[in-house]
Amino acid sequence: MTTASVAASTQQDQRLQLLRVLGPGHVWALGVGIVLVGEYMGWNFSVGKGGMIAGLVACWLAGLLYTCVAMIDSEVTSTVAAAGGQYAQAKHIVGPLMAFNVGLFLVMAYTMLEAANAITVGFLLDAVAGMQGHSGLDQQPFIILTVMFLAWLNYRGVLATLTFNFVITAIAFVAIIVLFLSVQLGASAVQLDFSAITSEPLPYGWLGIIAALHFGLWYYLGIEGTCQAAEEVRSPARSLPYGTMAGIITLLMAATMTWYVCSGLIPWEYLGQAGTPLFDAARVTGNSGLMVLLFIGTIFSTLASANGCINDASRAWFSMGRDRYLPTWFGAVHPHHRTPYRSIVFLVPIALIFALGAPLDQVITFSILSGLLGYTFMTFNMIMFRRKWPLGSIKRGYVHPFHPLPAILLLVLCSATYFAVFLGYGTQLIAMMCFYIIASLWFHFWRYRFVRRGDQFTMPWPRPQAY
Amino acid sequence: MDFWNFLEYAAWALSVGFGAYLLIDLARIDSTYDNDLLTSSREGEIELTQERHQI
Amino acid sequence: MAYQPPKQGLVGQIVDVFVLLMLTVGALYIPLYLGLAGAAKTPAPIDNPTWEALGQNATEQQQWAALGITDPAAASDIITARFDYSFSWMALIVMTILVVGYFVLVVRLSDREYRDVIEERFGGRR
Repeated sequence: MTTASVAASTQQDQRLQLLRVLGPGHVWALGVGIVLVGEYMGWNFSVGKGGMIAGLVACWLAGLLYTCVAMIDSEVTSTVAAAGGQYAQAKHIVGPLMAFNVGLFLVMAYTMLEAANAITVGFLLDAVAGMQGHSGLDQQPFIILTVMFLAWLNYRGVLATLTFNFVITAIAFVAIIVLFLSVQLGASAVQLDFSAITSEPLPYGWLGIIAALHFGLWYYLGIEGTCQAAEEVRSPARSLPYGTMAGIITLLMAATMTWYVCSGLIPWEYLGQAGTPLFDAARVTGNSGLMVLLFIGTIFSTLASANGCINDASRAWFSMGRDRYLPTWFGAVHPHHRTPYRSIVFLVPIALIFALGAPLDQVITFSILSGLLGYTFMTFNMIMFRRKWPLGSIKRGYVHPFHPLPAILLLVLCSATYFAVFLGYGTQLIAMMCFYIIASLWFHFWRYRFVRRGDQFTMPWPRPQAY
Repeated sequence: MDFWNFLEYAAWALSVGFGAYLLIDLARIDSTYDNDLLTSSREGEIELTQERHQI
Repeated sequence: MAYQPPKQGLVGQIVDVFVLLMLTVGALYIPLYLGLAGAAKTPAPIDNPTWEALGQNATEQQQWAALGITDPAAASDIITARFDYSFSWMALIVMTILVVGYFVLVVRLSDREYRDVIEERFGGRR
């Protein structure tokens, strides 16, 4: 659409909306794009925390957790199609204060993850410069450029942003498959070796498996971000469940292949502390083609992730502004590009504060914890959703099977993960709980007075049961 | 002054460029259009036009 | 009668955003400044490290070499480092109370606000 025609159409109806242009492929790209970076770095700390077997068990347990998340989310979001995603779900199902908290979880989880990605880009370029004999590269300009460029892309329109994400995510995913197949076909100079599984099965015992769950989340963290596209998808009731499910299937395959190749090629003690495990695995094969491919894969996956994070965090911030949970100034849509442009610009310096000022593991833990709080919310959200609007009372785009088993399973796995985070990062957990408690009190006793009560409920649903 | 130093300066320059674009465009849009129009988006309008919740 | 929120001035809006920002930055940086953050592994070095003493077989030695580490002494710290998973039950109880208490608090206050919303949207109880 040309700028002139957009301007003309906005003058006719005098209402600006986000542009509804996305298909299921873009939803897949948004979900998998944010997450796939977890395969390229981060997941391997789970091997360090519990050994090789614990790494695999954590990979599958976390996979189970996220399958529950994807099913629950698909059902609710195919019904509540709004840009805030889980924020809008909470607002309709649990209540305003919960919604404010969920909005904060989303913005924190994604902004922190974006910062972590930008830090990684700087780190990788420094490593490559080091390999070429240039030591002491200044990482700052590259970190800033990553954030600025992606913010600019997001500002200019959602279709280009997510099409870009689709391409680079697909390349990064194919890189993992190529590595797996080449190693299977004998392209590696060194054989796969799994002897540590028998010689040192569980170096930390069973506790190690629970501890490994902390970083096991990394294989999939962020797949729930598909919901934030709800207002920009052509057919939310169909595309969102489809894109989300395809995404989780992609990730389950990628995660298992990644574990297999990396555990086979890298001694687990090294793997447990490696910065870029898939790239290291390619180095062990001694094949320079694979090395280049996996380097590109690593860069692309970090960019895709940061890009998706900007998209999601700004949607959540925008939705909160629109409802006056935050100043209404943020609830603006760009008249030409149809993006929440003020939120995008506002979140740039925030991401930079974290990317330039805080150590990587802190930022990551903050992100994981915000995500975890969000998953805990989904469990009782789902149960309340089925209670207040039982099947048959409203039209659902997708109905997930075995309710309430997935919700209960999710709650059990979340509790185990809280304990895993507590082993080692207990102080952060407590600091963050204090943060959310203070923020909640601030909202309830101060900020909520500026919110219009009835206007928050925007879905054309019947009255909830028992209210 | 090798290739990597050059890249550092290029990255600084590009960052400033993108940042300036964002700020200038934001200022331009905010001064051209009425704030009520810009913040006229409402949640749930898709639902009203696209989805039917009656069964 | 629907609730009419007061209009918030520009200064108030800026102050609100600033408060939220300060809270966030505080939650991230205070544990850092207090030096309470992070879990570290501690290596347990052994005398005269050889690949055999470190439990690395022939294939694994090749892998270490491909990663650029040919000297067992250099790999020794990485191989012998272990996490310390001992924890205090007191801290675990505090954490459990905080997490559970937080969710209970939020859901209860939300429910109170939610009833107003439903009442205004759908009218008084039938």
